Amino acid sequence: MTDNWRRTLAIGLAFVLAIGGAFLFASRASHRAHRFVSADEPIHGWMSIPFIAHTHHMPASVLFQAIGVEPLQPRDHRSVRHIARELNRPVREVIAQLQSAIDAASQPPGGAPR
Amino acid sequence: MNEQLLAAVTQYGAPALFGIVAIAAVGVPLPITLLLIVVGSMVSQGAMDIRWAVGAASAGSVLGDQAGYAIGRWGGSAAVAKLSGLFGKKASIEAMEAKARAWGGPGIFLTRWLLSPLGPWINFASGTAGYPWHQFLLWDIAGEITGAAVYISLGRIFSDSVIQLDGVLGDVTYAVAAAIVAIFLGYQLVRAIRQRRTPRPGATPSTNAPSRTTGTPFTST
Repeated sequence: MTDNWRRTLAIGLAFVLAIGGAFLFASRASHRAHRFVSADEPIHGWMSIPFIAHTHHMPASVLFQAIGVEPLQPRDHRSVRHIARELNRPVREVIAQLQSAIDAASQPPGGAPR
Repeated sequence: MNEQLLAAVTQYGAPALFGIVAIAAVGVPLPITLLLIVVGSMVSQGAMDIRWAVGAASAGSVLGDQAGYAIGRWGGSAAVAKLSGLFGKKASIEAMEAKARAWGGPGIFLTRWLLSPLGPWINFASGTAGYPWHQFLLWDIAGEITGAAVYISLGRIFSDSVIQLDGVLGDVTYAVAAAIVAIFLGYQLVRAIRQRRTPRPGATPSTNAPSRTTGTPFTST
């Protein structure tokens, strides 16, 4: 096999890989785009309580109450990590408490349907 | 570190946004797309003014891009290689210089927002390749304002799905980059095949090789 043939073959393989990559990422983007409206947004330590409340369509006061924190006025921009540090509690624990409050608020009155 | 930066923007707003995007534009790998989407979500919640958000993001990015260009222009290839090693990203500056020359202004514009991972390298390469500064500045400002406006608006529209939107946009960026690479390689492949088929001028045909016209019904008379 000549060097010229090897080069053509290498370009051909790279071309197929690039096409495959483009299709893979495009299909993954399309798959994610189709389900992201219905999926729940995960809670991260950098998020503020009003931010979490907004993404889950519920009042921030419910979440502040759930973790036993009095919100700062006029607007509390402290992150969950910041609040956890002030409360001297693990971030994971505060996130779990917020998640429980969100789950409880999203359930219909009278508990989950059987 | 990413979590702390995102927390800083939610807590301190536009000044933190300005500083972070300026640092990222020099080449430090930071989650800028997610940051701009989060800012868009904050705008929709009334926590930040959209003019301040787009202004701070664009101004910070342009400042960082200009610093990258200056490093390439006056520090040369050695400074760029040292800096890229520092950030854990070794890039071939010659390859990027070739890209900067070939793509020109539209390349600078697109790497500000659509192909943003290439942005810092195009800044360095534009500097080392001696791309005219005033043209670089013009395309840079246009690209950064477009990028900030697009991502902040998307964050504003999908303000309750920022993490998922970031995932989708990340995949779209990679899909576009892979498609551009595929187009380039496809062009190279066609050229290589054509070169193989076209006989070199002055080359004597091998006596063992079959004639090109043998067996074809359209031989010239």
